[in-house]
Amino acid sequence: MSDFDSELDASGLNCPLPILRAKKAISALEAGQILKIIATDPGSVKDFEAFCKQTGNELVSSGEENGKFAFLIKKAA
Amino acid sequence: MSNRLSGPERRESILAAAQGLFAGKGFHGVSVDEIARAVDVSPAILYRHFASKQSLYDAVLEEFSCQRQSYVDTIVNHGTRFEDALAGMTQVYISNIAANPDILKIELHSLLEGNPATLAFFQNRWKSFTDYIEFGLNEFLPYDIPNREKTILSAGLMFQGMLREALIQKCLQPQDRLIDLSLYELSNELVTLFLRSIGINKTQLSRKATMTG
Repeated sequence: MSDFDSELDASGLNCPLPILRAKKAISALEAGQILKIIATDPGSVKDFEAFCKQTGNELVSSGEENGKFAFLIKKAA
Repeated sequence: MSNRLSGPERRESILAAAQGLFAGKGFHGVSVDEIARAVDVSPAILYRHFASKQSLYDAVLEEFSCQRQSYVDTIVNHGTRFEDALAGMTQVYISNIAANPDILKIELHSLLEGNPATLAFFQNRWKSFTDYIEFGLNEFLPYDIPNREKTILSAGLMFQGMLREALIQKCLQPQDRLIDLSLYELSNELVTLFLRSIGINKTQLSRKATMTG
Protein backbone atom coordinates (compact mmCIF):
# COMPACT_ATOMS: atom_id res chain seq x y z
CA MET A 1 0.00 0.00 0.00
CA SER A 2 1.38 3.38 -0.89
CA ASP A 3 1.89 6.05 1.72
CA PHE A 4 0.48 8.80 -0.44
CA ASP A 5 -2.84 9.52 -2.16
CA SER A 6 -1.71 11.29 -5.30
CA GLU A 7 1.55 11.67 -7.18
CA LEU A 8 2.98 14.49 -9.25
CA ASP A 9 6.05 14.17 -11.43
CA ALA A 10 7.69 17.56 -11.91
CA SER A 11 10.98 16.17 -13.25
CA GLY A 12 12.88 18.53 -15.51
CA LEU A 13 10.75 21.54 -14.62
CA ASN A 14 12.08 24.78 -13.21
CA CYS A 15 10.77 26.84 -10.34
CA PRO A 16 8.02 27.92 -9.95
CA LEU A 17 6.29 25.33 -12.13
CA PRO A 18 6.64 22.40 -9.66
CA ILE A 19 5.20 24.63 -6.90
CA LEU A 20 2.33 25.75 -9.09
CA ARG A 21 1.47 22.22 -10.11
CA ALA A 22 1.71 21.05 -6.49
CA LYS A 23 -0.63 23.83 -5.41
CA LYS A 24 -3.17 22.71 -8.00
CA ALA A 25 -2.79 19.05 -7.07
CA ILE A 26 -3.18 19.75 -3.35
CA SER A 27 -6.33 21.76 -3.94
CA ALA A 28 -7.89 18.60 -5.38
CA LEU A 29 -7.09 16.59 -2.22
CA GLU A 30 -9.07 16.22 1.00
CA ALA A 31 -7.57 17.49 4.27
CA GLY A 32 -5.10 14.94 5.65
CA GLN A 33 -4.42 13.35 2.27
CA ILE A 34 -0.84 13.20 1.04
CA LEU A 35 0.66 14.30 -2.26
CA LYS A 36 3.96 12.90 -3.44
CA ILE A 37 6.04 15.14 -5.68
CA ILE A 38 9.10 14.13 -7.69
CA ALA A 39 11.40 16.93 -8.88
CA THR A 40 14.89 17.26 -10.34
CA ASP A 41 15.58 20.93 -9.64
CA PRO A 42 17.91 21.07 -6.56
CA GLY A 43 16.32 24.38 -5.57
CA SER A 44 12.99 22.63 -5.14
CA VAL A 45 14.06 21.46 -1.65
CA LYS A 46 14.03 25.02 -0.33
CA ASP A 47 11.03 25.92 -2.48
CA PHE A 48 8.84 23.23 -0.97
CA GLU A 49 9.98 24.11 2.55
CA ALA A 50 8.94 27.72 1.92
CA PHE A 51 5.73 26.62 0.21
CA CYS A 52 4.66 24.47 3.18
CA LYS A 53 5.60 27.13 5.71
CA GLN A 54 3.42 29.63 3.89
CA THR A 55 0.46 27.43 3.11
CA GLY A 56 0.33 25.55 6.43
CA ASN A 57 0.45 22.18 4.66
CA GLU A 58 2.77 19.72 6.34
CA LEU A 59 6.03 18.68 4.69
CA VAL A 60 6.00 15.07 5.86
CA SER A 61 9.28 14.19 4.21
CA SER A 62 11.85 15.62 1.86
CA GLY A 63 14.75 13.64 0.48
CA GLU A 64 16.51 12.09 -2.47
CA GLU A 65 15.15 9.06 -4.23
CA ASN A 66 16.85 7.45 -7.24
CA GLY A 67 18.81 10.61 -7.97
CA LYS A 68 15.70 12.78 -7.87
CA PHE A 69 14.08 14.79 -5.09
CA ALA A 70 10.95 13.42 -3.49
CA PHE A 71 8.55 15.25 -1.21
CA LEU A 72 5.49 14.14 0.72
CA ILE A 73 3.07 16.93 1.57
CA LYS A 74 0.01 16.43 3.76
CA LYS A 75 -2.86 18.81 3.08
CA ALA A 76 -3.76 20.97 6.09
CA ALA A 77 -7.21 20.73 7.66
CA MET B 1 39.54 52.34 8.00
CA SER B 2 38.81 49.48 5.63
CA ASN B 3 41.04 47.25 7.74
CA ARG B 4 38.52 47.42 10.59
CA LEU B 5 35.84 45.53 8.70
CA SER B 6 34.78 42.17 10.13
CA GLY B 7 35.25 39.04 8.03
CA PRO B 8 31.65 38.94 6.73
CA GLU B 9 31.68 42.71 6.10
CA ARG B 10 34.90 42.39 4.17
CA ARG B 11 33.44 39.55 2.14
CA GLU B 12 30.36 41.66 1.36
CA SER B 13 32.46 44.64 0.30
CA ILE B 14 34.55 42.46 -2.02
CA LEU B 15 31.40 40.95 -3.52
CA ALA B 16 29.85 44.37 -4.10
CA ALA B 17 32.96 45.73 -5.79
CA ALA B 18 33.39 42.60 -7.88
CA GLN B 19 29.78 42.73 -9.02
CA GLY B 20 30.19 46.30 -10.26
CA LEU B 21 33.42 45.53 -12.06
CA PHE B 22 32.16 42.30 -13.67
CA ALA B 23 29.03 44.19 -14.77
CA GLY B 24 31.13 46.88 -16.39
CA LYS B 25 33.80 44.76 -18.05
CA GLY B 26 32.76 41.12 -17.98
CA PHE B 27 34.62 38.23 -16.39
CA HIS B 28 37.70 38.46 -18.61
CA GLY B 29 37.96 42.23 -18.43
CA VAL B 30 38.59 42.30 -14.68
CA SER B 31 41.62 41.09 -12.73
CA VAL B 32 41.78 40.02 -9.10
CA ASP B 33 44.26 42.85 -8.50
CA GLU B 34 41.75 45.37 -9.78
CA ILE B 35 39.00 44.07 -7.49
CA ALA B 36 41.40 44.09 -4.53
CA ARG B 37 42.38 47.69 -5.32
CA ALA B 38 38.73 48.72 -5.50
CA VAL B 39 38.18 47.64 -1.89
CA ASP B 40 41.62 48.77 -0.77
CA VAL B 41 42.95 45.37 0.27
CA SER B 42 45.84 43.25 -0.92
CA PRO B 43 45.13 40.34 -3.30
CA ALA B 44 46.28 38.04 -0.45
CA ILE B 45 43.38 39.25 1.71
CA LEU B 46 40.97 38.79 -1.16
CA TYR B 47 42.16 35.22 -1.66
CA ARG B 48 41.44 34.56 2.00
CA HIS B 49 37.75 35.05 1.19
CA PHE B 50 37.63 33.70 -2.36
CA ALA B 51 39.94 31.01 -3.68
CA SER B 52 39.98 32.33 -7.24
CA LYS B 53 38.46 34.89 -9.58
CA GLN B 54 36.10 32.16 -10.75
CA SER B 55 34.87 31.42 -7.24
CA LEU B 56 34.35 35.14 -6.63
CA TYR B 57 32.39 35.38 -9.87
CA ASP B 58 30.32 32.34 -8.89
CA ALA B 59 29.59 33.96 -5.52
CA VAL B 60 28.37 37.10 -7.32
CA LEU B 61 26.01 34.96 -9.41
CA GLU B 62 24.89 33.10 -6.30
CA GLU B 63 23.71 36.40 -4.82
CA PHE B 64 21.38 36.77 -7.80
CA SER B 65 19.53 33.54 -7.22
CA CYS B 66 17.43 34.80 -4.32
CA GLN B 67 14.40 35.54 -6.47
CA ARG B 68 13.16 31.97 -6.07
CA GLN B 69 11.54 32.80 -2.77
CA SER B 70 9.59 35.57 -4.50
CA TYR B 71 8.39 33.10 -7.14
CA VAL B 72 7.10 30.81 -4.41
CA ASP B 73 5.37 33.80 -2.77
CA THR B 74 3.81 34.72 -6.11
CA ILE B 75 2.41 31.25 -6.62
CA VAL B 76 1.13 30.97 -3.05
CA ASN B 77 -0.47 34.40 -2.97
CA HIS B 78 -1.78 34.80 -6.51
CA GLY B 79 -4.27 32.76 -8.42
CA THR B 80 -3.10 29.75 -10.32
CA ARG B 81 -4.53 30.97 -13.60
CA PHE B 82 -1.96 30.96 -16.39
CA GLU B 83 -2.04 34.70 -16.94
CA ASP B 84 -1.97 35.62 -13.24
CA ALA B 85 1.06 33.51 -12.48
CA LEU B 86 2.84 34.68 -15.65
CA ALA B 87 2.16 38.32 -14.78
CA GLY B 88 3.29 37.70 -11.19
CA MET B 89 6.52 36.01 -12.26
CA THR B 90 7.19 38.82 -14.72
CA GLN B 91 6.80 41.39 -11.95
CA VAL B 92 9.24 39.48 -9.75
CA TYR B 93 11.76 39.26 -12.58
CA ILE B 94 11.65 42.89 -13.63
CA SER B 95 11.69 44.18 -10.04
CA ASN B 96 14.75 42.07 -9.46
CA ILE B 97 16.57 43.50 -12.49
CA ALA B 98 15.35 47.07 -11.95
CA ALA B 99 16.75 46.95 -8.42
CA ASN B 100 20.05 45.57 -9.66
CA PRO B 101 20.75 46.16 -13.37
CA ASP B 102 24.21 44.64 -12.86
CA ILE B 103 22.52 41.23 -13.23
CA LEU B 104 21.48 42.10 -16.76
CA LYS B 105 24.88 43.54 -17.63
CA ILE B 106 26.64 40.41 -16.39
CA GLU B 107 24.18 38.27 -18.35
CA LEU B 108 24.91 40.19 -21.57
CA HIS B 109 28.67 39.93 -21.04
CA SER B 110 28.32 36.22 -20.37
CA LEU B 111 26.54 35.69 -23.70
CA LEU B 112 29.66 36.86 -25.53
CA GLU B 113 32.16 35.26 -23.20
CA GLY B 114 30.60 31.86 -23.62
CA ASN B 115 31.49 30.29 -20.27
CA PRO B 116 29.23 27.20 -20.23
CA ALA B 117 28.51 27.34 -16.47
CA THR B 118 27.55 31.00 -16.60
CA LEU B 119 25.45 30.57 -19.71
CA ALA B 120 23.66 27.71 -17.98
CA PHE B 121 23.06 29.89 -14.92
CA PHE B 122 21.31 32.61 -16.92
CA GLN B 123 19.56 30.19 -19.23
CA ASN B 124 18.19 28.52 -16.13
CA ARG B 125 16.71 31.82 -14.95
CA TRP B 126 14.83 32.16 -18.23
CA LYS B 127 13.84 28.52 -18.13
CA SER B 128 11.38 29.39 -15.36
CA PHE B 129 9.45 31.35 -17.98
CA THR B 130 9.98 29.08 -20.95
CA ASP B 131 9.02 25.97 -18.97
CA TYR B 132 5.97 27.72 -17.65
CA ILE B 133 4.86 28.93 -21.07
CA GLU B 134 5.57 25.64 -22.81
CA PHE B 135 3.73 23.70 -20.17
CA GLY B 136 0.78 26.07 -20.18
CA LEU B 137 0.44 26.13 -23.96
CA ASN B 138 0.76 22.39 -24.14
CA GLU B 139 -2.26 22.16 -21.87
CA PHE B 140 -4.59 24.50 -23.66
CA LEU B 141 -3.56 24.84 -27.32
CA PRO B 142 -5.86 22.73 -29.49
CA TYR B 143 -4.14 19.55 -30.68
CA ASP B 144 -5.02 20.07 -34.31
CA ILE B 145 -3.27 23.39 -34.91
CA PRO B 146 -0.51 23.20 -37.50
CA ASN B 147 3.10 23.15 -36.22
CA ARG B 148 1.89 22.85 -32.65
CA GLU B 149 5.25 21.78 -31.20
CA LYS B 150 7.14 24.53 -32.99
CA THR B 151 4.60 27.13 -31.92
CA ILE B 152 4.98 26.10 -28.30
CA LEU B 153 8.78 26.21 -28.41
CA SER B 154 8.82 29.54 -30.23
CA ALA B 155 6.39 31.13 -27.81
CA GLY B 156 8.76 30.63 -24.88
CA LEU B 157 11.58 32.20 -26.85
CA MET B 158 9.37 35.07 -27.92
CA PHE B 159 8.54 35.89 -24.34
CA GLN B 160 12.17 35.70 -23.24
CA GLY B 161 13.32 37.98 -26.07
CA MET B 162 10.54 40.46 -25.45
CA LEU B 163 11.14 40.77 -21.74
CA ARG B 164 14.91 40.89 -22.03
CA GLU B 165 14.73 43.66 -24.63
CA ALA B 166 12.29 45.64 -22.47
CA LEU B 167 14.75 45.38 -19.59
CA ILE B 168 17.66 46.47 -21.80
CA GLN B 169 15.68 49.46 -23.08
CA LYS B 170 14.47 50.58 -19.67
CA CYS B 171 17.37 49.66 -17.39
CA LEU B 172 20.48 50.00 -19.51
CA GLN B 173 19.82 52.56 -22.20
CA PRO B 174 16.75 54.63 -21.33
CA GLN B 175 15.14 55.85 -24.55
CA ASP B 176 13.33 59.15 -24.86
CA ARG B 177 10.55 57.59 -26.87
CA LEU B 178 9.74 55.18 -24.04
CA ILE B 179 9.98 57.81 -21.34
CA ASP B 180 6.23 57.92 -20.68
CA LEU B 181 6.07 54.19 -20.20
CA SER B 182 7.36 52.78 -16.91
CA LEU B 183 9.07 49.41 -16.91
CA TYR B 184 6.00 47.96 -15.19
CA GLU B 185 3.58 49.42 -17.72
CA LEU B 186 5.79 48.28 -20.56
CA SER B 187 5.99 44.73 -19.23
CA ASN B 188 2.22 44.60 -18.65
CA GLU B 189 1.64 45.74 -22.23
CA LEU B 190 4.07 43.14 -23.50
CA VAL B 191 2.46 40.34 -21.49
CA THR B 192 -0.92 41.34 -22.92
CA LEU B 193 0.48 41.45 -26.45
CA PHE B 194 2.12 38.09 -25.91
CA LEU B 195 -1.13 36.51 -24.77
CA ARG B 196 -2.93 37.96 -27.78
CA SER B 197 -0.22 36.85 -30.17
CA ILE B 198 -0.61 33.20 -29.30
CA GLY B 199 -4.13 33.49 -30.64
CA ILE B 200 -5.95 33.55 -27.35
CA ASN B 201 -7.51 36.62 -25.83
CA LYS B 202 -7.14 37.21 -22.13
CA THR B 203 -10.70 36.29 -21.19
CA GLN B 204 -10.51 33.02 -23.01
CA LEU B 205 -7.14 32.28 -21.47
CA SER B 206 -8.24 32.89 -17.92
CA ARG B 207 -11.08 30.46 -18.36
CA LYS B 208 -9.23 27.71 -20.16
CA ALA B 209 -5.66 27.92 -19.09
CA THR B 210 -5.83 26.96 -15.47
CA MET B 211 -3.32 24.19 -15.21
CA THR B 212 -4.12 20.82 -13.86
CA GLY B 213 -1.89 18.89 -11.52
